[in-house]
This record gives sequence, C-alpha cells and structure tokens, in this order.
Amino acid sequence: MAERATNTGAGELHALLAEFDDVDAVSGAARALRDAGYRRFEVYSPFPIHGIERSMGLSPTRLPWIALGAGLTGTSLALFFQWWTNAVDYPFKISGKPLFGIPANIPVTFEFTVLLASFGAFFGMLILNRLPEHHRPVFENPRFRRATDDGFFLAVEVDDPRFDPRATRALLEQHTRRPLEECRDSGQTRELPGSVRAALVSVAALGLLPLAGVVWARSQDSSRPPIHVVNDMDSQPRYRAQAANPVFSDGRAMRSDALGTQAFGELPRPGTITTGKQGDAWTESFPVPVTPAFLARGRERFAIYCTPCHGQSGYGDGLVALRAAELQEQNWVQPSSLHDPLVRARPVGQLFDTVVNGVRTMPAYGRQIPREDAWAVVAYVRALQRSQNAAQADVPPTERAKLGAQ
Amino acid sequence: MSAPHTESAPRQGDQVLGPRAGRWATPALAVGVLGLAAALGLGWQRGDGFSRLQHSWLVACAFFLTLSLGGLFFVIIQHLTRAGWSVVVRRVAELVAANTAVVALLFAPLVLGVLLSNDGLYPWADAERVHGNPLLSAKAAFLDPRFFAARCIVYFAVWWLLGRWLLARSTEQDRVSGPEPTLALERRSAPAMAAFALSLNFAGFDLIMSVNPTWYSTIFGVYIFGGSVMSFFAAAVLALRFLQSRGFLTREVSVEHYHDLGKFLFAFVFFWGYIAFSQFMLIWYADLPEETFWFKTRMEGPWAAVSWVLLFGHFVLPFLGLLSRHAKRRLALLTLWAVWLLAMHAVDLFWLVMPSAETSGVLVSPMDLASFAAVGGFWIFSLLRLARGRSLLPVGDPRLPQSLAFENF
Repeated sequence: MAERATNTGAGELHALLAEFDDVDAVSGAARALRDAGYRRFEVYSPFPIHGIERSMGLSPTRLPWIALGAGLTGTSLALFFQWWTNAVDYPFKISGKPLFGIPANIPVTFEFTVLLASFGAFFGMLILNRLPEHHRPVFENPRFRRATDDGFFLAVEVDDPRFDPRATRALLEQHTRRPLEECRDSGQTRELPGSVRAALVSVAALGLLPLAGVVWARSQDSSRPPIHVVNDMDSQPRYRAQAANPVFSDGRAMRSDALGTQAFGELPRPGTITTGKQGDAWTESFPVPVTPAFLARGRERFAIYCTPCHGQSGYGDGLVALRAAELQEQNWVQPSSLHDPLVRARPVGQLFDTVVNGVRTMPAYGRQIPREDAWAVVAYVRALQRSQNAAQADVPPTERAKLGAQ
Repeated sequence: MSAPHTESAPRQGDQVLGPRAGRWATPALAVGVLGLAAALGLGWQRGDGFSRLQHSWLVACAFFLTLSLGGLFFVIIQHLTRAGWSVVVRRVAELVAANTAVVALLFAPLVLGVLLSNDGLYPWADAERVHGNPLLSAKAAFLDPRFFAARCIVYFAVWWLLGRWLLARSTEQDRVSGPEPTLALERRSAPAMAAFALSLNFAGFDLIMSVNPTWYSTIFGVYIFGGSVMSFFAAAVLALRFLQSRGFLTREVSVEHYHDLGKFLFAFVFFWGYIAFSQFMLIWYADLPEETFWFKTRMEGPWAAVSWVLLFGHFVLPFLGLLSRHAKRRLALLTLWAVWLLAMHAVDLFWLVMPSAETSGVLVSPMDLASFAAVGGFWIFSLLRLARGRSLLPVGDPRLPQSLAFENF
C-alpha cells in the first residue's frame, strides 16, 4: 500500500482525519474515541449508519421538544388570533350565531400547528446542527471527496479537550491501516464569499421594500380610493336594494317567493295563525299564548331580522337606513317608525301579515321567519310600542317610587 | 446499515402453534357458543322481534370484521410498497386478514332478516315504510333487500378471496426457493388495493350507515376505514405480545418493530380524528336539518357523554400519549394504549349504531356483551384454526433478513 498522506493547508491544525475501509471499522474507532472521553469528533460516510449515534456517544436529540413547543405555540396563537379578531376586536353578528365557535376555528388551528411544528423541526434541525456551514478544512483534503462515494472518514477536532497530537494519532492508528491526514486551516475563510454575501444582503434589502411601502402608505393621508389588486366581488353587476328591474312586469328587483313556496318544516295550517285574519277582518288578539319566553323569542328574532332597517327601538333608524341616507340613495324609501300613530293603531293580524308578506318596499319575511316566530315578533313590537308611549301610570307602584327619587 | 444477523435463519418448525392452537381454540369456541346462547336468550326475552339484538350483533360483527379488514389493508400496502421492515409481523396480519369467512357466516342471519323484510335493524327493509317516506323511496333502488344481499355476498367474497390469496402465496413462499410468489404478490397488490378500497367504502355505507337510511355522509366509508386500520394495529400489538409471552417470535420481533406498529397506531389515531372532525365540521357548518339530526341525537341528551368519551378517549388522549418515541418503545405502555384503543373502537361502533335502538339513554345491555363474546369467541376460534399448521414467520420471504436487522433511526 503506497498510500501517502496529502496533508493540506499550512495554518493551524484543525483536525485529524482518518479513513476506514468499512462501516464496522469506522464504528469501532468511534466507540474507542467515545470510551476515551472524546466529544468533538465527526463521522462522515456516504450513507446513514444505523446506530452510529450510540457508537459516537451522542445524546438523544432535543429536536422533538423544539417541534412540540413550536406546534403548541401554533395551536395557541391560531386560537388566540381567531378569538381576538372574531370575538373581541371586530365582533360581527350574523343571524345570532356565536361570535366564536371552536369547530369553525379548528382547520386554521390545525394548519398553523402543523406549519409551526414543521418550521420548528426544520429550523431547529439547522440550528442544532449549526447549519448551513459554508466551509470546513477537511473539505480541502482530496481524499475526503470519497466521503460522498465509498469512503468512511472520522475527523477529531483539535478543540476537543482530550485532543493530544500524539495520543489521538496513536488511538486512530489502532483502527485503520491508512495514513492519517492533518487538516490545517489554509487561510480559506469560513465566511461566505463576498459575492454571495452581497447577493444575500440585496435580496434581504429587496424583501424589506414591501414593508417599507406599507409603512410609507400608512403615514400618508390620501383621498383616493384604495387600489384593488384583487377585485374579488368589490364591484359587480347587481341591483341595489329597492331598485327597479325592467325584466319583470312588476318592476321589482327584490323578488318575492314563487307562489306556494313553503319554508322547510312549515306546513300550511288553516286559520288565524297562518293568515292573521278572523273571518275577513284582521285579528285583534294573538292566536298563540303570549308568555315571557314568547316575548323573549320575539325580541331575539326582532334583533336578527328587523333591526337592520327599523332600528333597535323601532324608529326606522337601523344601520341600513342610516347608511342609505348617508349615501343619498335615490330610490330609498325610509322604513316606517313603529311608533307612528298609524302603525300603533293597526291590529296585530295586520302587523303579522306585514312581517310575513311584506308591505310596499318592505320585503316578505315569511320564508325566513316561521309563523309562530312572526307572532312572537309582533308581540315584541307591541311591547316596544308600549314602552315608547308609556305614561307614569303604567309603571307598577313599587317601581314608581324610584322614578320620583331620580 | 449494520450487517444482517449472521445467526442461522429460523427453521419453519420453530414458529408453528401446532397443538397449542387447539388448546386455546377450545375455550374460545366455548365462549362463542355460550355467548351465542346467551345473546339469543336475552334477545328472545326482550320480545322486540330481536331488533335490539340485531343492533348488538351488528356492532360485534363490525368490530371483528374491521380488525380483519385493517389487517387486509396492512398486508396489501406492505406488498405494494415492497416493505422490508414488516416481514416478521406480516404473517400475523395475513392470518387476521384471512379470517373473514367466519364473520360472513355470523353476519348472514342479518342479511337473511333483510331478505325476509325484517326491519328490526335496517328500517328500509320494510317496503311499506319505504313507500310512505319520500326520502327513503328515492333510495329504494339501492337499498333494495335483494340488491343489498348481493352486495354483501360480493364484499365478503372479495375480502375472503383477497385474504386467502395473500396468505396462500405468502405461505407458498415459505416452501419455494425463488422469489416468484413475492413478486406475484407485489404485482397484484395494486388492483387488490383498489378492490379493497371500493368494497370497504361501500360496505361502510351498506352495513352501518344504512341503519339510519335517511342520513348520508360521503366520507363515512373513510371514517370506518380509519377506525378499522387503527384497531388492527392495536390488535397486532396485543397479538404479538401474547405470542411472545408464549415463546413465539421472541428473537424475531424486536422493539423496533413495535415502534413501527406504534407509529402506525399513532398515525391512524390521528387519521381517525381528522376524518371524524371533517365529517362533523361540514355537517355542523352547513347546518342542514336532513344531515344534522344524526349528530343532534349524539350531541344532546344521554349520548352526548359518549361523544365526549370518543373525542378525548379515541383522539386527544391517545394522540398525546403516543406522540413520544419513548411511549412507542416502552412495550408495557404501548400495550396499555392498544387495549385502550381497541375498547375505544368498540365504543365508536356502538356510538355509530346504537342510538337508533336506544333512544332514551345509553344502555349497555348484557346482550351487547353476549354478542361480543359470541362473535369474538368464534372469530378467535377460526383464527387459531387458520394459524394452527402455518409458520408464524414468513421464513422464505426474500426480505426476511432485512426485517430481522431492522432498526429505527
């Protein structure tokens, strides 16, 4: 065997590199170093070696804990952000649905958990392995290139506290017949080449541009409408509320249900409860018992379906009406105040009919509101009317004393 | 890779249950017969035309059937991926997978009941009821008793043929020297997987979902699949632990193989949870009465508690418990989770079927236990008969050395 060491570099000794014939030899050398108390040495092989971490005396990786921590961070952050945006910062009531429902938030939580756990595993792996590492003196040794092909190598670094030029060499020579290599710092820097560094810095600087743009835009006042990068449904051909539509003979853009439409689970029942009439006249009394629970139901339904136009207290000042007034809509007809003497004088049957079938520009709600609920709404409207037109005599005597005190 | 074990390959005679199988089979048969008698007696005593008993029987049949089908999936996927690590545990899976004929026999009375228009279990078996209900009459062409019986025959035939074929070619490999049987298994496992996927999916709809014939969920078959494969891995861990405690496969199956079975168990715990939630969330969000009623009966009243047990017992706790590598490699802990998850699989099937029969409360009847004992006794008896003369190790498998030397990183 005429093999000779090709010791490279001229600077300080960095590591002692040994080449081995096979897996067993390199594992044996690793075990010997481990047992001798060495810690800073590295095994290089063309493929993963089972059990090498035990031979080298490496402690189990902390990576699972990093991944778990990152994953749990993802879980809690996702839940917190969704709760904060939906239930606290911008509560958005839709049809009485809860502001925060766990099932609806699970998909985002799941994805974010997976994302952060993967980030934790990937970047944690890089950090624990001190990667990316641009250069090591062993790379300069021409024999070392075979580590990616069929060579098995072991390098003991000089910063290992146990390292001793002679003793370490003797230990390694017990395990291989091949000459050892001394890897010295050749002066080739461990730092990245200037061109690569310049490229990275420019990419990072370019990456800051969008952020800078946002900061700049936030600091400016502008009366121009925002730029619509993604148009989505911002502008679309559609009819505004109460607009006219020439396609239909009655000219209405807001269509009522086709004749005979029945809401799900609502079969037509004959009599006052469906028609609001007794004989030919509007009924003056409720066909269902009016209880506190019934009134509460009516209040809840009123809040969902009526307040957008009629307002919380029924003066016709709901958010939709306010918005229409602000935009100065041409065709908008102001919703009636429920406290108008004309409305107050109407029999409950007629109010019921208005809820179910609509009146003038008010659409029919019979499809959304089951008949019993429509009666509950009417009952609540009656209570509302009374509350806004009450005299001192209407207050119970026990409570009246408090009025006087104020 | 470390060098393969150099010790001599195990001989075939070492790993055969032989007469021991007979000694264990007799008590199993006795449990089966006693359970059957008790179940029939209790069903008769109840006087509801065996309606409640049919529900119990379906749960018990489904439990052991899903174990076998999970085994079937495992064996096919091993051949499909040319897996090396699993060879030492594959024969046990092949035996479990081939053990479907006994379930076919036990399930036959329920099919017979459907053919005789008995609507004690499947309400659509009654033609008059179907006519009166537009939701049911729309499905009458599919939920037709004779078509149902024909489909059941096809399902069980596919499973039985697949299971026996996988076992036969694998044992053939024990005897011959060339790799031809293994190559044939690998070539044909792709169509086998397609046949398995279709049959399991439709069987899920037919056997279990049609207990509530007006309800529908297109992911239901996948849900059954998730629970099925999970229960198989739990059962495989228990079966191997039992065999090793009796001196079989002690050198061949190592903690590395348990670790991998544990990984699969963990993965399918999560898969089940993922599918269960996917099924729930779409229905919850869409909020259509024709779909939500199925969950409403399970989320309100007495069944709500069982739903919570499933959420935590079938998903959250085992997910956290099996997350760590150490839990999968500590055999006592892994065995504990396997027992727990098998129990949860039974609760899952009970929760799927039983709310139709027990509307007033969650009632575990002695009938349920008797049915479970009956089907379980016969299933184990048949399994031991299958295993009796066969080696528990695929001694001729070309990848056996790789499996013996298997190590996790």
